[in-house]
Amino acid sequence: MITVVEWCKALEDTRIGEIVRESAFPYVEGAHVLGLALSVGTVVWFDLRLLGATMRTRPVEEVFRNLKGWMIAGFSLMFLSGALLFTAHAAKAYANNYFRAKIALIVLAGVNTAVYHVTIDRRRSEWSDAAVPPVGARAAGLVSLVLWFSVIAAGRIFAYDL
Amino acid sequence: MVWATLQPFVEWLGSSEFGQWLGQSTNRIAGLFVMHLIGLTLLLGGTLVIGLRLLDIGLRSQPVSGLARDIAPWRMAGLILSVISGALIFTGGAVSYFEGPWFRWKMTLLAIALIFNFTAFRTVAYADEGRFHPWLRRTMGGLTLLLWFSVGVAGRAIGFF
Repeated sequence: MITVVEWCKALEDTRIGEIVRESAFPYVEGAHVLGLALSVGTVVWFDLRLLGATMRTRPVEEVFRNLKGWMIAGFSLMFLSGALLFTAHAAKAYANNYFRAKIALIVLAGVNTAVYHVTIDRRRSEWSDAAVPPVGARAAGLVSLVLWFSVIAAGRIFAYDL
Repeated sequence: MVWATLQPFVEWLGSSEFGQWLGQSTNRIAGLFVMHLIGLTLLLGGTLVIGLRLLDIGLRSQPVSGLARDIAPWRMAGLILSVISGALIFTGGAVSYFEGPWFRWKMTLLAIALIFNFTAFRTVAYADEGRFHPWLRRTMGGLTLLLWFSVGVAGRAIGFF
């Protein structure tokens, strides 16, 4: 059985880890930072719509349909660039509390999204046209905003600590 | 040049008590960077949404001027948050930031993006349907994305190069 730390070290020793660490890091990190616009930067508009704080005359259904593909593309970019950055300094990242907090917050944001989709979103047709959605939907939007901004905060401080 | 004219002010700012106080603490600067990134997310996220719409690539079911008006307050909030946090980060290390070529590129691009935003972009994005030729609208969408994202790229480069 290898430990997580040993696995992290092995990851750092791969060719990819070496390339990212020694030359590609600024570009991959640049993509990760600007990728915020496509990932969290598109999710915030859906969250704000759930809060009744923007696009109030457009059905929630329509806003979701319009943003869905961009949100998926954004989070794919973030996951890929984030995974590449991780290979460069895996052991240090794994040991870092801000990195651990970031991963935990991402998991919580995923749980929030899943809970929303299996509960209040099931009845979306009933409230899709409302300027201000029901309290459950507003709560999901607010929790999502807070969690994603916390992910950004943890990620930025972790980069400082690295 | 405008940079040389600003030099004495930058030196005064960097050596001011407030500038020294800001620059002393890693925590204060880290907190400001978090604000800067949340501002970026709102500003560039909003720019992306309206840019894609102007280009007819995304959100096509929503009328352009309605969407532009819907996102404007939050996008503006992102701009204000970015500018305030950015100005404070700068104050904490004024002289060394000011010397950097990428910082100067960022400020130049930011000035162009702001002027463009409040003149041509606004005029076209807020216009009634059919007022301008579709290709003019798409050009504005492309320029909006190009200008604002190049500000972001130059900003990221400050920290690395």
